[in-house]
Amino acid sequence: MSKRYSIFLTALFCLFLFGFGALHLALPDRTFSEQENRNLAQFKAPTAKTLQSGKFMEDFQDYVTDQFPLRDSFVALKALTERGLGKRENNGVYLSRDGQTLFAQFTAPSKDDLAQRVGYVNKLADNLSVPVYFSLIPDKSRLWADRLPANAPRVDDGSTIAAAEPLCSDQVCWIDLSGALHGDDIFYRTDHHWTTMGAYQGYLGLSSGMGGSGAVFDYPYVLRSDSFYGTTWSSSGASWVKPDELYSVIPEGGEYGRITVTSYRDGAPEAGSLYDESFLEKKDKYSFFLGGNQPLCVISNPDAKGGKLLVVRDSYSDALAPFLALEFQEVHLFDLRYNRTSLKQYVEENGIGQVLVLYSLANFTTDGNLFLLGR
Amino acid sequence: MVFSSLYFLFLYLPAVLAAYYLAPLRWRNAVLLVLNLIFYGWGEPVYILIMFASIAIDYTHGMLVARAKQHGNDKAARLAVASSVIFNLGLLFFFKYWDFIAGSLPAIGLGFMPKLGLELPIGISFYTFQTMSYTIDVYRGDAREQRNIVTFGTFVTLFPQLIAGPIIKYKDLDGQLEQRNHTVERFASGIQRFMVGLGKKVLLANRLGALWDVYLATPGADLTTLGAWLGILAFTLQLYFDFSGYSDMAIGLGRMLGFEFLENFNYPYLAKSATEFWRRWHISLGTWFREYLYIPLGGNRVGKARLVFNLMLVWAATGIWHGASWNFLIWGLFYGVIILIEKLFLLRQLDKLPGWAGHVYGLFVVMVGWAIFAVEDFTALGLYLKAMFGFGAGLMDNTCLYYFRDYLPTLVLAAVGSTPVVAALWRKLPERAWKAALPVLILAGLIWSTAYLVDGSYNPFLYFRF
Repeated sequence: MSKRYSIFLTALFCLFLFGFGALHLALPDRTFSEQENRNLAQFKAPTAKTLQSGKFMEDFQDYVTDQFPLRDSFVALKALTERGLGKRENNGVYLSRDGQTLFAQFTAPSKDDLAQRVGYVNKLADNLSVPVYFSLIPDKSRLWADRLPANAPRVDDGSTIAAAEPLCSDQVCWIDLSGALHGDDIFYRTDHHWTTMGAYQGYLGLSSGMGGSGAVFDYPYVLRSDSFYGTTWSSSGASWVKPDELYSVIPEGGEYGRITVTSYRDGAPEAGSLYDESFLEKKDKYSFFLGGNQPLCVISNPDAKGGKLLVVRDSYSDALAPFLALEFQEVHLFDLRYNRTSLKQYVEENGIGQVLVLYSLANFTTDGNLFLLGR
Repeated sequence: MVFSSLYFLFLYLPAVLAAYYLAPLRWRNAVLLVLNLIFYGWGEPVYILIMFASIAIDYTHGMLVARAKQHGNDKAARLAVASSVIFNLGLLFFFKYWDFIAGSLPAIGLGFMPKLGLELPIGISFYTFQTMSYTIDVYRGDAREQRNIVTFGTFVTLFPQLIAGPIIKYKDLDGQLEQRNHTVERFASGIQRFMVGLGKKVLLANRLGALWDVYLATPGADLTTLGAWLGILAFTLQLYFDFSGYSDMAIGLGRMLGFEFLENFNYPYLAKSATEFWRRWHISLGTWFREYLYIPLGGNRVGKARLVFNLMLVWAATGIWHGASWNFLIWGLFYGVIILIEKLFLLRQLDKLPGWAGHVYGLFVVMVGWAIFAVEDFTALGLYLKAMFGFGAGLMDNTCLYYFRDYLPTLVLAAVGSTPVVAALWRKLPERAWKAALPVLILAGLIWSTAYLVDGSYNPFLYFRF
């Protein structure tokens, strides 16, 4: 190697290292990543304590990784490369055969864990004198199994839900949704949630399971956004995937104008709405439905025929709620993660007629607050 | 601090190069010493104290040995060597093996040692061996004592090889510590070598490691035969690319700072026997044990009974060096037994076989060895070996088909990369071709390594047990 050529290689190497190092120091830090839908690590000045314990160094590593110049492009490059090398999974997300649908991996719980979780639902039914319905929403990987890479492990193969049913006590009315959901538009391709269409099919299944016939409506589905990138997309790095469309169906106002939504975000009641349009401008577009997670939300419809329903909810219930509001005079969406009121007490004090415990399979098998059901 | 991290590549390394090359020549060892200590203290700041203690004590012992020899007092010199060995082994024993022994003794009714729960100082097995060999070499007359404590400190803490080897003996570095040539040609060749190592670690080893983790986490009862072999194949390749990648990066960084380290790997998976494997794998460790343990014990020139004893002792020590756990001891003894059998008669038989059969035998032994090495829990190891030998949950399942298909291109790339084919092709390129390709490869390597580190979902440091 000649001296001139060596100088050239050295300059190239140093330029890259020094250049990106300097850029990292010079560029302003971001607080939030739209693409990844999460807060990014920030620089924390060292103290004698954090230096000694090594905490500073750990934080610093996260900080450099999160704030690295062109981070989003590098993440996308890695995802593209993995795909190019024949891998159909990146960061725990499967890519469908056509490269346009993303599946978060699902880890089945152990037998004991599942039994314990269903046991909490049984405990709830024991505590209450009103009917308790229990249903699990199957994972996307079950219902769209034909889009998954061949033989993909760590997906919902239906066995967990099948195993959950016989664990229910006689006091619990099990509703099987597996047969109720079908079609190409029931889930978002880039998100774990069900779509408005999926939620409607789910509603029909739940309604008939609870002895109803499903409210009839003749409103069209209205496209509200065509640029929804969900959380599965965020962790996948799969920048080539097309965004999802997001629809609403039950209008507020008009014939059902008497639907009112009361949110209890900080304990006190405030007026809410079925749809919060401000979220359509943000990354987290799914929160368009009811404005996202909240400890308690009560939807009233004096025109409806059914009584008072309490739903022990996760976020899937937000897209479902407008349909439930057609059938029930009051729908109480109760979130165990943020609401520490005793369920038994709440049901009794509010004259609730029926309780529905509704979780997506992935949430039910991972949520750490289920024990509150039995309190 | 590890090489395969963004802050090392983009902040620490530029700072090192700038500080080192801006410093006047005679200050460079001192600058390097300070930078080394920062590098070491990054993970566990308190343990910088061990570095200071090591430097001071080993420096003193070197001087003591040299002075005793000067006065013709062999007994005092031997005493000083013994004291140095006791200090270094004591350090290693205290931090690395105390809890292991304290945890094992109650099984035979001796529960007098309390567990200490100390964090293992990173790289302790590497640097205690290096400093031990220093005093021994001074005694043997193979190395001169180092009178300058800064220079000696630079040797003890030299960051490119501090935490994951190669194990560099003082006598191999002696002259370079005093005077080394900083040429741009050497720097550029260091860059090439560093990039090879970085690519091996980040682009191959980490990706293969993700596959091995799947099989390590698979409950033993669910393992199929092909699945178990796929898992251990992934680990076999991961460990090679990770460890040799680290050595490449060390050698490359050394060259950037004007040093020339000895090679540590020589295509180990080409080996046709366990004996040959250990001449190609982690060469600096094998030669260390040979020079400072096996040969002093009498080596090969002893009776058969003594040979068995020597081999078992050396391989037990080699095994347990890799981590304070029974499986490493068993892994070492596994090699002890096989190498003994090879020495006694098998090598002669193997020589008569066609080449491919030797490769199959060699890889088989090595891969079974890696299973013992990688699965620490005995029950899990038993199930893993059972599955490998056909007594698992069947021949194969959908999961193993999925992963085989998912990782096939990576496995093929890695398998080819573990042979000399790539290097041979590279050397055949005409000058014009490689001159055009090299900058592109370096740039691409930097960009892709950065991408994989930025999205660093999986980037383990495998030598924290060493």
